[in-house]
Amino acid sequence: MDGKIAQRLRAIVGEDNYLDSVEDLINYSYDASVDEALPEAVVLPETTEEIAEIMKLANSAGIPVTPRGAGTNLSGGTIPHKGGIVIALTRMKKILELSKENRYAIVEAGLTNLELQNEAHKLGLFYPPDPASWAVSTMGGNVGENAGGPRGVKYGVTRDWILGLKIVLADGRIINTGGITAKNVTGVDMTSLFCGSEGLLGIVSEITVKLLPIPPFRQSIQAFFPRIDGASGTVTRIIGSGIVPVALELMDSVVINMVEDSKKIGLPRNVQGVLLIMVDGPESECRRQSSMIEEICIDQGASHVDVAGTADEEEALWVARRAAFGVMSQKLPNCILEDVTVPVSRLPEMIKGIIKIGETYDLTIGVLAHAGDGNTHPMIVTDKRDTDEWERVEKAVSDIFHLAVDLGGTLSGEHGIGLSKKPFMHLIYNEHEFQLLRELKQILDPKGILNPGKITD
Amino acid sequence: MDKPKPLLSAGTKEHVYHCAKCGLCLEVCPVYRELLVESASPRGKVQLAKHIIEGNLDITRHMSEILFSQCLLCGSCVAACPSGVDQAALFSGLRWRATERHGIPLVKKLFFYVLAHKWIMSSSAWFGRWARKIFSGLKIEDHILLGNLSLAGVPPFNKTFFNDETPEVVSASGGRKGRVLYFHGCATNYVFADIGHSVVSVLSRMGLDVTVPKGQSCCGLPVFLSGDRKTSLKCMEENLTLFARDEFDAVIVDCATCGSALRKEYPHILRELRDLGEPIGADMIEKAELLASKVRDVSEFVAEHMHWLPEMEHRGPEVRVTYHDPCHLLKGQGVGSEPRKILRAIPGIKFVEMNEAGTCCGGGGEFQIEHGETSALITERKLGNIYDVQAEVVATGCPGCNITIGAHLDKTKGIQVMHPLQLLQRALPDKK
Ligand SMILES: Cc1cc2nc3c(=O)[nH]c(=O)nc-3n(C[C@H](O)[C@H](O)[C@H](O)COP(=O)(O)OP(=O)(O)OC[C@H]3O[C@@H](n4cnc5c(N)ncnc54)[C@H](O)[C@@H]3O)c2cc1C
Ligand code: SF4
Ligand code: SF4
Repeated sequence: MDGKIAQRLRAIVGEDNYLDSVEDLINYSYDASVDEALPEAVVLPETTEEIAEIMKLANSAGIPVTPRGAGTNLSGGTIPHKGGIVIALTRMKKILELSKENRYAIVEAGLTNLELQNEAHKLGLFYPPDPASWAVSTMGGNVGENAGGPRGVKYGVTRDWILGLKIVLADGRIINTGGITAKNVTGVDMTSLFCGSEGLLGIVSEITVKLLPIPPFRQSIQAFFPRIDGASGTVTRIIGSGIVPVALELMDSVVINMVEDSKKIGLPRNVQGVLLIMVDGPESECRRQSSMIEEICIDQGASHVDVAGTADEEEALWVARRAAFGVMSQKLPNCILEDVTVPVSRLPEMIKGIIKIGETYDLTIGVLAHAGDGNTHPMIVTDKRDTDEWERVEKAVSDIFHLAVDLGGTLSGEHGIGLSKKPFMHLIYNEHEFQLLRELKQILDPKGILNPGKITD
Repeated sequence: MDKPKPLLSAGTKEHVYHCAKCGLCLEVCPVYRELLVESASPRGKVQLAKHIIEGNLDITRHMSEILFSQCLLCGSCVAACPSGVDQAALFSGLRWRATERHGIPLVKKLFFYVLAHKWIMSSSAWFGRWARKIFSGLKIEDHILLGNLSLAGVPPFNKTFFNDETPEVVSASGGRKGRVLYFHGCATNYVFADIGHSVVSVLSRMGLDVTVPKGQSCCGLPVFLSGDRKTSLKCMEENLTLFARDEFDAVIVDCATCGSALRKEYPHILRELRDLGEPIGADMIEKAELLASKVRDVSEFVAEHMHWLPEMEHRGPEVRVTYHDPCHLLKGQGVGSEPRKILRAIPGIKFVEMNEAGTCCGGGGEFQIEHGETSALITERKLGNIYDVQAEVVATGCPGCNITIGAHLDKTKGIQVMHPLQLLQRALPDKK
């Protein structure tokens, strides 16, 4: 980093919040995807005003800036591959307001999703989006990726719960979108524009979210299927039956076995699929839905259906599910995780297709799916050091994207495009759409300094 | 010329390639939670280790600082990592190399000096010589404030050492159910003799012959973690001779760290040293494995044999007791429910669970001395959780945690720190 710029950055954020040792640069060169690239400096601002000052400086000097939360995105979104400055928001984690009466919270971008949940719980409230990374991923990162989670089937994704944002634009101007009211149509919906924009259009510093009362009752059901068709067919049947489960997760045999190898929680190793279903609401309604679900599972050939009796039992089910991605890296170093999404009715075809692609390229592919919303996570376990296999991995990934799009689906349901899916954007976007995106970027970030090189360019 | 020594063993090295960079370890790391910067996170240090192993990064002084000042080696990350990365093996191995290059930091020397003063007088003659050599020329006040730890708040050393006042064999009272060896560790020997007496008393009244070998050494782990592997090897040798014995039913340990060392670290460390070309015989590794299979934390052993305990009595007013999980017990040995089972069974105790009982107290051996500020933040969080449940007694199974928590508790609140076995002993009827 140019000495003068470094000096000014230090002055803005303070000595403790400016890092440029080689160790620190390495530590902000990666995220949960495979690639790496070094920034030239890392700053950890503590206020919106500091972010604004940093952006003014970067904008006038034309220095690339990569906003970063916890770096858990899986698409290379926080890799500073044009160098420049990484702005890490992890030290901005205050809860500015938490209103029980109006059921909203205003939080700083670096707060983790779980920290918000914990505070909201104390008032009998919860924040619905719950990415599996919730213990570490930040609210800013959740907005950046428009994160969803297991509860998405019933409660939707981040976009559905954001009332307003405070944003620092590329040139340092500070704007507010939305507000704290539940209804708000004053002008164009700018909040949604920034939600899911992966740090390309502005830096989110504060987020206003809607909260919900914790439902009086909930129940989790686990069903094992000797055949994968039974599992994916059950998903379609449940959604078609009019029940709106909170969560409807699917794991195939590859994932089940890897989770079992690591966690030893007694999952059967000889089944092709397991479904994890959660319902919530008034107790009687939950029980009615549970028994309907149980019937559908059995009808679809489930060999075994468990209804979690206690909170501990339920938590155990979800711990395994949350660990699933990490577990996949135990045997082999790299786990390539995609998040293609198809209409729920096409899920059986998608899952079968993925299994076939695995066979074609002789790869170990596990399938994990937020099945209830058609969001499928094929996970390819591999060792990047094995170049021959790596080539086959790349081909398989390409085939998976093509298949999803052919089935009426899309490239990403929640992890974003970043660097890794950029080459496939043309499968979804036509020339006009690309053009509009570039024009938007041009208006908001004329010098192209915000997270450059991602999504389209 | 000698071939350059490998940095870490092949097995340890491979771990860096299994880190998925998922970041799930960030949440559990007590240091990251306070500093909120990636180099403090387990993931960050694993990635740095990868660059070092691949030769892209030197173990610079700054790197050495990261290894020592931004990690308590509490093992929380090891327990939480879904990919099975053994961060502790990586970090302790690199600490060793960092010490070879940059030496042991001065403050740490001072800390060891205070302890070594006692060790010098201990039965282990070579240990005294080592301490004298390392610390020669240093002077230290008795009440100096070291980092986060005020020595004034630390309990005084025992007048006589536990090992000297205890007979080598204490026989079972009532019918004999078995024979155990008792490894009391340095803390009980020099500082917490009361805990040692409670342990021996409870075990003998459960019907066990308790043998307390004379001349037992430090478990070696603190020395090992500070980077001096050669010295700690001597501790291991001495202890293996005394404790790796098949004729006993169990080796009982009352210190979380020692337990972790004997149970998990000895076989691992010895294998690693062998893989790196140190002269470690197969017999030594065999002994370490035998010992590891026998080691039980005292809470774990007692909880498993509750039915051997005499009927307990309710004496005095009811006390509110909470329990702090030492990292080396919960994460290192998977012992957490057992001490709670004991506490819940004691009449006259109202057991209350605090928030975040399983997170670190901030001590981490000399960490609190060297990195006072970070340590203080972690300790403060722990104290807040203790005050929140209005406990009168904090039970914990680690002398290190006992010292750290005890030294910082608000004296006006009159909260005591005790080992669960001390509470248990109080409830047992007087010996007939
Ligand atoms: C084990 C695991 C499980 C996961 N499970 C899920 C899941 O269930 N659902 C899901 O949706 N995702 C999931 N993810 C992906 C990821 O955790 C989420 O996308 C999460 O929202 C990223 O948050 P973060 O704080 O790590 O953001 P980062 O990875 O740091 O950043 C994500 C993107 O947002 C941008 N950004 C970050 N902060 C800001 C800000 N303040 N202003 C503007 N832009 C910003 C970055 O530039 C980047 O493009 C998972 C990841 C892992 C490793
Ligand atoms: S939890 Fe394990 S795999 Fe995930 S980042 Fe931490 S060390 Fe790496
Ligand atoms: S051992 Fe403890 S302090 Fe060190 S990195 Fe792991 S969790 Fe953090």
